[in-house]
Formats: sequence, structure tokens, C-alpha cells
Amino acid sequence: MLSFDLHKRKFLTVFLLLLFAWSLMGVNWREGVMHSSGIGTAAEIFAAMFTPDLSLDILLLAVESSWLTLAYATAGMSLALILALIFGILASGVLSSGKHSRTLMKGSFRGVLGFMRAIHELVWAWLFVASFGLSPYAAIFALAIPYGGILGRIFADMINDVPEEPIKALRATGASRLQCLFYGYLPSVKNSMISYTMYRYECAVRSSAIMSFVGLGGLGYQIQLSLDDLLYDEVWTFLYFLIILVVVIDGWSNMLRRRMAQ
Amino acid sequence: MKKRRSPFLTISFYAFLFLIAASWYFVIGIKNASLTELFSKENLEYANKFFKGLFGVGQEEVAFLNRDSWSDAFKLTIETLQMSIMAIGFSTIVMFLTVIPAARNVADGTLTLSRRWYRWLVFGLIRVSYIFSRAIPELVWAMIVIFIFKPGILPGAIALALHNFGILGKLCAEVIEDTDSRPIRNLASAGAGRAQILMYGVFPTVLPQFLTYILYRWEVIMRTTIVVGFVGAGGLGQEFKLSMSFFHYTEITLLLICYLILVIIADYISEKSRFFVK
Repeated sequence: MLSFDLHKRKFLTVFLLLLFAWSLMGVNWREGVMHSSGIGTAAEIFAAMFTPDLSLDILLLAVESSWLTLAYATAGMSLALILALIFGILASGVLSSGKHSRTLMKGSFRGVLGFMRAIHELVWAWLFVASFGLSPYAAIFALAIPYGGILGRIFADMINDVPEEPIKALRATGASRLQCLFYGYLPSVKNSMISYTMYRYECAVRSSAIMSFVGLGGLGYQIQLSLDDLLYDEVWTFLYFLIILVVVIDGWSNMLRRRMAQ
Repeated sequence: MKKRRSPFLTISFYAFLFLIAASWYFVIGIKNASLTELFSKENLEYANKFFKGLFGVGQEEVAFLNRDSWSDAFKLTIETLQMSIMAIGFSTIVMFLTVIPAARNVADGTLTLSRRWYRWLVFGLIRVSYIFSRAIPELVWAMIVIFIFKPGILPGAIALALHNFGILGKLCAEVIEDTDSRPIRNLASAGAGRAQILMYGVFPTVLPQFLTYILYRWEVIMRTTIVVGFVGAGGLGQEFKLSMSFFHYTEITLLLICYLILVIIADYISEKSRFFVK
């Protein structure tokens, strides 16, 4: 490993600062960066934060679109989990016997997972909508593919990090590769798999909210509509619903993680 | 001896099964989405046309074989790169300004050995702002920010920074909470001031960890730059949306190639740097 001494750290800091300065030069500062009424709009939006629209029909709409968002996220996540388990186990290479077939399997399935997660879910959604039309499946598949890629890669890493000894013991008693997987690898990584999936579930809810952007409905869609009508009060109502949804799932996953760690 | 499962885990498990079942019921039963309809002849034809378009089959001008469009796309790629660096720069600056009071062991005074009544108030305020910033997706931030700033890479960077500073802040505050407090107490009892404690006690221990998180978020930001571009925040995303609206399918392929290259580079750098920092 390279040592990370003070001298190198200074060098790195200067380099990163220069990089940041270079990025700032990409903006045309001279012509002004705000709209002429930008500050007024910002103040209006900020003020609306404290007066969200709480009329009954808006609240009902918010509840309905929250459910839509949650339902898409859950359905997408359940598919992603299946994809991740299949591809993750294949990409970890524990099922192949020979050394060559193992590297081949690892390389090819890791490549597939890399491709799945390299493209953002919204781009997937757009591609699906453009080719298949507006359908809930477009949202679900668009969520399932990149999340399957991320989960699969992490699952594969987890399986590869399992200590050798228990597996060797299993092999010695004559267990097949598949039996090793079910009685050796999977039980030892189960908890970390669940907690990582929970963390990703929270992200999936956020992503499912922005799926709206390509016309698939949900909280993001309502936010966009209200923004276009300049009804900032309504925007904040929907934003608060989104925040509550995310915070509740975050709290749930924290509690689960704590219980499982015991 | 069998370990007793806590009822919370069992309840969570069934709640999940219920949620999954309800979601699929909702999608299939109420929304009437059917897979067979998805793969109807008409849709397959559309999809076929779309993918043929992407690969430029039977088209006269193919963007990804054209030199000018490559140089245009290269410019946009650089712009996107600048946007991502700016975004992570902004969020890092804000994170550094807020992360110290946001750590629990600073708020209750165990780290700095000084207790102030307002510490908990500041702690709460900053933590709430973190939750706010990370619960709202970057695309929604971008939609709001674009009302205030002129289109370009700056609003994109601000939107990305707004979402990421909450995540970075939370991760980094946890790093500070996990630091060993003994060397810092030592400094404090030797008479170091607050600034000195930070400079010589806290920062040297947490910076490598911070850097890992910053690079990790940068990698994620790189992936999302294309998304904030959709609402007019510059870079590859904006052009992507325009080409989509004009049905310039081969351009989409070109932009996707550039985007994938950027993502792969970011992935590689952040992976390698993780070893470097260790």
C-alpha cells in the first residue's frame, strides 16, 4: 500500500482545490447567474415552506401519490432483489469449479452488473417509455435494473469476503457447490444483505418519486405540476410527504439494523 | 441453543411481504398493467424502430460517425465533468462548515470538554437541514433551483450540491462521532483552543475517511449529472433531452457513450483512491 504521509496530503489538497477552481471557470459569471427576479422567487419559495397547502383535496392527492410512489418503489425493489441474488451469486464465482471458468464467470457477470448500474434509473425509464409507452412496468423495470446492478455487485463483494474456513469445513464433509452456497455463504452474509437492501430501499423511494418526470405519476409528478402552476404552497405539501416517507423508511431500517446487530 | 428472534424482526418481515404483495396487486390489479400488452405487436414495432434509430440503421446522418458531433459531445462531456466537480466542491464546503456541531459528541461536550447550552440547538437545526436536503431528490431540487438561476451548469451543480451535502454531512458527522476522543482530550487539557483542537486533533484523524466519502459521492454525482440536465441544468443531460424531443436518435447513442465513459472513469478513480487513502 502507498503510504499517505503529510507531504502527499498537502499535494493532494492543492490539486483538489485547483480542480475545483477550474470547474468554477466553466460558469459565465459576468453576465449574472440569476434571473432578474431570481431573489424574489427564492424568497417566495422559502416563505411557502412555512405555509404548506393543507386543504383536504390536496392532502388526499398527496396520500394517493405517496402510495403510488411507494408501490412502484416496492415492486421495483422486489424485482431488483431477485435480479441481484441471481446475478450477485453468479458474479461472485462461487458456483464454478475450475480457476479459469471462475475468472470468466466473475468477469462477465461483473461486467453485466456494471452496465446495469452505470445508466441512471431515469435514463432507463426514458428508454423504456420511448420504446414501450407509458406503463407502470416501465417504472418498475427502470428501477429494478440499476438497483439490481448495485445490489448484485455489493452482494457479490459480500460473498467474496466470507471467511474461507467454514466453507472449507463444509467442503471437507462432502458438500456440493450449491450446498456450500446455501449452508455456508448465504447464512453468513444474510444480515448485511438485508441491511444494505433496506438502505437501498430508501434510495428507491426517492428514485421512484422522480420517475414522474417521464410521465409515470407519483409524488414527483405532482411536484412538477404544482411548480409549473407556481403554486409553491402545494409544492411544499408534496415535498413534506416525500420527506416523511423517506424518514419513516430510514427510521425503520435503522431499527432493523440495530436489532440484527444484537 | 437457539437464539430467540425478536418479534420486531418477524413483524418487519411480514410487513415487507405485505407491502410487496400490495404493491404488485396495485400495479397489476388496479392499474391494469399487463405484461402481454407490453409486448404487443404494436409496441414491439415501436421498440424495434426506436432501437434501430439508436444504432442508426438506414439513416443518412449518423451522429456517432460524425467528427463535428463528436467534438460537440466532447465539449458537453467536459462541461458535465466541471458540473460534477463544482457540485462536490460546494457540498464539501458546506459540509465542512456544518459538520463539527452536527456530531453528537461535540454537542454533548465529550469531545471538546466544553459544554454550552446552545450546542444541542445547533445540533438539532443542522441535523434537520441534513434530513431535508437528502430526502428531496436532486431532480426536484433542480426543478426548484432552475426557477432562480439562469440555465447552465451552475444551477445543476447547486441542485446536486443541495442533495449531497445532507448525505455527506450525515456520513462525516458519524465519522467524527466514531473518533477516539482520548488524543483530543489530551490536547484540550494541554490548553489548546477550539481552533487548535480542530486543526491538530480532529481533522488529521477524520480527513482520510472524509476523502473516501467525498470521492464516493462524487462518483454518484457523476451518474446523476445527466438527470439534472433534463430540466435545463446544462451538460449532457440537457442535450440528451433535446435530442430525445427532436427524435435525433443517433445523437442519443453518442451522448450515452460519452456518459458511460465518464461514469466508468469516475468509478475507476473512486475505486483506486479507496486503496490509496487506506
